[in-house]
Amino acid sequence: MRQNALEVSELWVSFEKGSKAFHALRGISFSLEKGQTLSLVGESGSGKTTATRASLGLITPTEGKVALLGVDINNCSKDKLIETRRRCGYISQNPYDSIPPTLTTLDAVAEPLVICKGLNKKAARERAKEMLSVCGIVDEVVLNGRVKFSLSGGQKQRVALARALVTDPEIIFADEPTSMQDASNRGDILDILQEYVKKGSSLVLTTHDLYLAAAATEHSIILFHGKIMEAGPSKEILKSPLHFYTKALLDALPGLSKKIKKPSLKQGEPEYRLSGCPFLTRCPRGIDKCSKTCPPIKEVSPGHFVACWLL
Amino acid sequence: MKRILRRFSFWLLIGFILAGIWGPKCFKSSAETQVASPFSMPLWVKKDTSPTMSLALEPKREHVQFEWNWEAPPNITIWGTAKFEKETSASLILENPNGETILLAQNEGNTFLAVDVDGRDMSFKMGLGLSPFDDPMKELFPTKGRYTIKLWPPDLKIKSGAINIRIEGSRWGLLGTDQRGRDVFHLFLLGIRISLLVGISATLLATLLGVSVGLVAGYAGGLVDTVLMRIVDVLLAIPGLPILMVLAGIWGKGLWQLVVILSIFSWMGTARTIRSLTLSLRESTFVEGLRALGAKPSYIMFRHLLPESLPILLANIALGVPSAILAEAGLSFLGLSDPRIISWGRMLNEAHGFGAFTTGAWWLILPPGIGISLICLAFLDLGRTLEEMADPRLKGGANK
Amino acid sequence: MIHIQRLSVSYKTERGQVPALKNINLSIPKGTATAIVGESGSGKSTLLHSIMRLLPPEAELSGKIMFEDMDITSMDDAALRSFRWRKCSLVLQGAMSSFNPVLSIGKQIAETVAYHLHLSSKDSYKRAEELLEMVGLPTFFSKRFPHELSGGQKQRAAIAMALACSPPCILADEPTTALDVITQAEIVWLLKEITRKNNMTLCMVTHDLPLALSVCDRIAVMHRGEIVEIQKPSGILNNPTHPHTKKLVKSIRSIEERGNPK
Repeated sequence: MRQNALEVSELWVSFEKGSKAFHALRGISFSLEKGQTLSLVGESGSGKTTATRASLGLITPTEGKVALLGVDINNCSKDKLIETRRRCGYISQNPYDSIPPTLTTLDAVAEPLVICKGLNKKAARERAKEMLSVCGIVDEVVLNGRVKFSLSGGQKQRVALARALVTDPEIIFADEPTSMQDASNRGDILDILQEYVKKGSSLVLTTHDLYLAAAATEHSIILFHGKIMEAGPSKEILKSPLHFYTKALLDALPGLSKKIKKPSLKQGEPEYRLSGCPFLTRCPRGIDKCSKTCPPIKEVSPGHFVACWLL
Repeated sequence: MKRILRRFSFWLLIGFILAGIWGPKCFKSSAETQVASPFSMPLWVKKDTSPTMSLALEPKREHVQFEWNWEAPPNITIWGTAKFEKETSASLILENPNGETILLAQNEGNTFLAVDVDGRDMSFKMGLGLSPFDDPMKELFPTKGRYTIKLWPPDLKIKSGAINIRIEGSRWGLLGTDQRGRDVFHLFLLGIRISLLVGISATLLATLLGVSVGLVAGYAGGLVDTVLMRIVDVLLAIPGLPILMVLAGIWGKGLWQLVVILSIFSWMGTARTIRSLTLSLRESTFVEGLRALGAKPSYIMFRHLLPESLPILLANIALGVPSAILAEAGLSFLGLSDPRIISWGRMLNEAHGFGAFTTGAWWLILPPGIGISLICLAFLDLGRTLEEMADPRLKGGANK
Repeated sequence: MIHIQRLSVSYKTERGQVPALKNINLSIPKGTATAIVGESGSGKSTLLHSIMRLLPPEAELSGKIMFEDMDITSMDDAALRSFRWRKCSLVLQGAMSSFNPVLSIGKQIAETVAYHLHLSSKDSYKRAEELLEMVGLPTFFSKRFPHELSGGQKQRAAIAMALACSPPCILADEPTTALDVITQAEIVWLLKEITRKNNMTLCMVTHDLPLALSVCDRIAVMHRGEIVEIQKPSGILNNPTHPHTKKLVKSIRSIEERGNPK
């Protein structure tokens, strides 16, 4: 059996909010083989960013196991963790803060090479220049300017992308990598990511856009309040979504030829309850059983999983 | 940067530093030598008292003339050797306004004239025909008017060497003299060196200590943080000056002991500031990104967190120097510093100890006092400017 | 209903006059939903704010804006006060900060109602609760404070506030930015329903072309301070004329096609 790039089992991440506990992730499990691509789809609060950060060990899970590139990152030595992280690339959601403010653009992309691959500064800068031109930043003034001051939001996101990809990572975690880009530029970002996937890297993408997920990755996992609602091949989910939430998400996403539809979900506020389906308060067809126990994830068609009592 | 250049305090400090480095080099003799009578006033005060005059007979200047419009001076000293072309009998005489001449010294007909005369010498007094207890000065300077000191025979030329004459008065120099007759201005300039040296090195040492502790405590957190911060609290609670006095008494009065003692008690503020900065930056997205990259904690601390704290560090240094200078001055004033080292505090100590306050010798008190105040104020102003420049950037860097 | 003729706005900055709008000509017929689409910096927010004369003091305005038969550009303060909110109200971007954090939602809406409609305190509160119900919020929300509401709920409350005087026209400046996808759809649906039911005119500014296409009857595309194209949604989709519009449509289409090859 090939070693999986990422294996998450029964992952629980909870935060204390005063006297109540807030569960960002409620026992999710998924795995990613080498060279595969996966999207974590959901809105804010779904846990997709938390899952990404937990995969890198930036958050310690309350329960559960994470095996990143075959290493159990919560039970290994600090050095092993650092070594494993050097084989990954991480693009965080907020490009404004993710690059150290004292660096120039060129140095920001050269730094990972110095840290992870041990290159000397000159060689790192050469490689960084190449990488940045692939990402569409060639202007000398911009290259030597401080990241904080001379770049727009979209450009900063590209620099963050270059910074993550310049080390040829084995697994790439991209958290909403196209949020700041104009519609015309989103395609370019996807192209760059695809290049690396072709070279053999695995990809974990988070987004709220099912279309983007289908365009960029083979598999998708739909998350809602820390639980997996649906999982399967991206294009299949797009064509025939099964879960009510996925359907509502798809309807809500604006498309070029779509006309606006009446929202199907109820107005309720999701409660942070442990038992039962977290989607119940918004589900248009919830039944009694849904409030008592959480539905398990069933395989409804080959490779296509759903967690709902009614399906 | 331009803001700093525009501030007067910056240029004042530059002036002090330059004066401290090159000023003392302009003086021919060391600061310890006596240049005039003790407690001489500055020249530009009370012009009706006699100044100390230094004259010399040199090659091409075989006689000197001067106006003496005051009472008889307290003393006159003449020293030096003048060499001539050939063997001659030569003598040194003083001519007063009345036309009378007095023989000061003579040789034995050889090629040089060696003089070593002090007005208080018994042999000198007896040579003038006075008893050992009389005051020869009234004989030498009976009236006001023009006096001449010259060689006899009049056409004698000095080939090399010089004969120095010092007539002591009650005024001398830019800032007068202290109880030992040392030039106060020279001492003042030397004091700049010590103040700046102690102030800056103590602060730098304290900053080094503070930054290391602050960075480690802020980044590591947990037990390390707690322990380090409790140490900081304990040290902050100890009153500074009394402990400094005790330690100076125990460990001795050397300059470097002083620097070490001062730095031990001033690193805590910096540590706290750097720690809170580190704490806030630790949670920022780019630090998380660096951790995700696989950077070691030491790399993150020294390559990223430290440069971020540089602006506030500079401000802290500029603000810490005045307190170090004041502490040093205070300890010196209390007599707890090395007496061989001339510093402003020491000058004040000696002024106090030798009665400058009672005799009204303000030139011994005001220069060091004003010097300390000006340097401290200049650093404070500079520090505040640096802080203002650092603050908006601080807010911008951490929270954007 | 709204006719904008030769409108130009420029801002006075330290670097001289910076033009924001250049010679805008736009008509918004009564009862329609119009969208103004453009990227950041294209001037769309400035356009909306100039209709309500809410520009900052360093802005210089030239041209004419006619609202029904009133000339907005030459109104004095008193006339403006009776125009704003009663004839035309505004829902702002980031409703997160359009509420005073120390007063309850109900109190703030009631205050608006009382000021404009001169109702008594009791009646204003009643009207506030009606409005909240209209936007789909339960009436007990009137006692809640802004920080107790989610982003989508705050946006609904802002719409309720905009409806306080039943104005014939509502302007919305990026009403869905920073909201979740599903909440966005709900807000947009709400706006469309309310304006349709009460025969109001809606003018919405957004950077999201697909959103505008799905909701509005007419779309005006802005680029660098000028309106480059005004068409019906089908026209924009099938026959974009301006190169900027073409680029926009093409890139969105390409992403959709990547994921959903037909």
